[in-house]
Amino acid sequence: MSAKSPMLRTLLLGATIIAGTAASVALAQVPPADQPPGNGNATVSPGTPTPPADAFSPPSANAPQAPGVNAANIPDGPPAEPSEATPMVDQVTANPAHDDWPGYGRDDKATRFSPLDQITPANIGHLKRAFIYHTGSKPGPGQTNKWAAETTPIKVGDGLYMCSALNDMMRIDPATGKEIWHFHANEKYESIPYTAACKAVVYYTSSTVPEGEHCHHRILEATLDERLIEVDSEDGKVCEGFGWHGMVNLMKGMGESVPGFVAETAPPPIVNGAIITNQEILDGQRRWAPSGVIRGYDAETGRFLWAWDVNRPHEHGEPKEGEHYSRGTPNSWAAMIGDNALGLVYVPTGNSAADYYSAMRSPEENKVSSAVVAIDVKTGEPRWVFQTVHKDVWDYDIGSQPTLMDFTKPDGSTVPALIMPTKRGQTFVLDRRTGDPVLPVEERPAPSPGMVPGDTRSPTQPWSVGMPRLGFAPLKESDMWGMSPIDQLYCRLKYRRAHYVGEFTPPSIDKPWLEYPGYNGGSDWGSVAYDEKTGILIANWNNTPMYDQLVSRKKADKLGLMPVDDPNFKPGGGGAEGAGAMAETPYGIVVSPFWDEYTGMMCNRPPYGMITAIDMHTQKVLWQHPLGSARANGPFGLPTHLPLTIGTPNNGGPVITAGGLIFVAATTDNMIHAFDIHTGKEVWNDVLPGGGQATPMTYEYKGKQYVAIMAGGHHFMMTPVTDDLVVYALDNVN
Amino acid sequence: MSAFIKPQTPAAWAILGLAVVIVLLGLPLAYMGAELMFLGGSWYYVIIGIAVTAAGVLMAMGRAMGAMLYLAAVGVTWLWAFWEVGFDGWGLLPRVFGPSILAIAVALCLPALRRMENAHSTSVREVA
Repeated sequence: MSAKSPMLRTLLLGATIIAGTAASVALAQVPPADQPPGNGNATVSPGTPTPPADAFSPPSANAPQAPGVNAANIPDGPPAEPSEATPMVDQVTANPAHDDWPGYGRDDKATRFSPLDQITPANIGHLKRAFIYHTGSKPGPGQTNKWAAETTPIKVGDGLYMCSALNDMMRIDPATGKEIWHFHANEKYESIPYTAACKAVVYYTSSTVPEGEHCHHRILEATLDERLIEVDSEDGKVCEGFGWHGMVNLMKGMGESVPGFVAETAPPPIVNGAIITNQEILDGQRRWAPSGVIRGYDAETGRFLWAWDVNRPHEHGEPKEGEHYSRGTPNSWAAMIGDNALGLVYVPTGNSAADYYSAMRSPEENKVSSAVVAIDVKTGEPRWVFQTVHKDVWDYDIGSQPTLMDFTKPDGSTVPALIMPTKRGQTFVLDRRTGDPVLPVEERPAPSPGMVPGDTRSPTQPWSVGMPRLGFAPLKESDMWGMSPIDQLYCRLKYRRAHYVGEFTPPSIDKPWLEYPGYNGGSDWGSVAYDEKTGILIANWNNTPMYDQLVSRKKADKLGLMPVDDPNFKPGGGGAEGAGAMAETPYGIVVSPFWDEYTGMMCNRPPYGMITAIDMHTQKVLWQHPLGSARANGPFGLPTHLPLTIGTPNNGGPVITAGGLIFVAATTDNMIHAFDIHTGKEVWNDVLPGGGQATPMTYEYKGKQYVAIMAGGHHFMMTPVTDDLVVYALDNVN
Repeated sequence: MSAFIKPQTPAAWAILGLAVVIVLLGLPLAYMGAELMFLGGSWYYVIIGIAVTAAGVLMAMGRAMGAMLYLAAVGVTWLWAFWEVGFDGWGLLPRVFGPSILAIAVALCLPALRRMENAHSTSVREVA
């Protein structure tokens, strides 16, 4: 049926509409993407026009960076040797003030738990909008919508600090939303990678600049165009003592690149005086994409400290003149987390470049991809590695920030532990000192050797059997869904036309394969929230399979897939996260949601998004239910306005408060929701001006508790994009 | 003389319209259902697709049997849906909701179809 006649297509569509009018049922919005070409794509049938030869001849990795790649034209100076950080004073996140939310995950453990209790399930009916602040960053005329701010503000003392999607930084009055200062990053549209996002800024207190002087308290960010920038928290002016006029060029040593290929979207942690940076490398472009190197910089001065470069494992200095960090290595784009006591940074890694083909990866890469890597912040040496997927060809890179906890064992002893949610919905709990599992992990057989010549799959994969799975059983044909028997049948056909043998179905070339869980999770970048007192863990997650297919190089050329640094590349032609050229490998990749592309509805039955409460003392599910309503979603992208809780895809994490509440937005119904943590009952919600694809935060100021959510929307989730930070407070408290 | 009704009353127009809709629903069910069967999937769709298409054609011919066949197909569909997904609301929805709405319309057409059939046989008798 891949060569279905237009008439049949019309018939099918017509019939679906007829049936659909009788059953106007909600469905989650999912993004459009190229559809897998279907059977027999490995060869090009005779008679079709000759496809163009692979137009891409990769630039030399040693080629000098083109103008604009070093966005601020920061002079680099000679390659730096490894060095040690200036000693650090205690930071505000170590022991957050009661009223504050001083870091992305609130504290040094990224618990997303606030001790505030003014807002409770009993009085939440009084929670009303206090103010809306506009960051000023949204798509301009003629610009493709690549926006998804994903921002969580931080609050320290009298200031609410945040960044815009294009990395402007600002301080806002926590009570009124009045802007106190605004730092202009002057970032270019071309620098936007897959998404214009800035998850958070970092608050840093200097150990060398005395209190009362400029840049004693600083706001740090890492930008889309690969800069570290430090400004003073009081006036928003750059810290001249940091880097070159307040900036560090993170493109130094990265070799050939183009703007938008390499970007920073997560807040860099500061551990024992070292700023640790990772970077997002655009997926699916080419095998020898820029490096996934992890680096340390001095938080005081911006001086280079060390690099951990997977294929140069024992060289911790900057590459020599004319050399560069090893290319195509696993990149890490999630928010990392530090551990001052153990002197470690925990790096959730992704995949080597060219995500869906693993035959060209080095053994070193295979050891550390889709893993948690603990790196010594003094030397840049990895201390331990725990891998969540072996030889990942499913884009199961880790998006979540790890959350730290003290785990009490049955014998009463306490283990410093780390919770690592994954896109697979397997949540690993590890000993922070060694990387050993605290809760049992089993290596279980996985489909092997796979269907791609010369690219064998791992015979086993790790399963966190001690933790409840954030996911459902493998898909069956009868799990297919639709508005009517016809679109349901169409999905059953898609199911039967694909390879599918459960989780870890290996990639295939002759026909599509079903990837379930999909690459949006399980848990993605929203991460989890954890209440240390009660031991309750809250996770919201996705249930959205993907429909993927490897395509021959000829077919990829025919589809117009080319990497972002190809001279012929046009924005919108091929890209990240969807179809990709995977140049310099034998195959391209076509990725799409597992959906009915005519109605835009997912093929699997709802729910598509869930929220789960887990008791970490017993590792049992306390409650679990669908998250998100059908109001803003429906067939053909039309809102149904139905208040049915169908469970929608969601991106953005939860927050727990001592008031017994969970705040979470994330869903594609463009709402912020509050749940009673003990019952799981939704006790409050509000419609946001845009999509709430961000993690909320809460703070108290002058005796009043506020809840803030960035309603920045998300281009991939197809939710409305705005530049609105929406802040709520009780209307009966003064 | 064509086997299909030549509508002159609103009721006959409604029946013909409904019959066309039912055929349009039945054909893709039969066509795609056949492919599904050959791919090792459920046989339900091809069988019900053929039945529904036949029901639509019969209704277009003014035969009450067509309506009865459609209603029977929906009855079978309910049984099959319970067998496949039990009493799960989201699961039942695509399987039975649309067809049942149509079944109500078909049931409402049944008296008119009966009248047409009676009138037809009466006129045939008169001619004879």
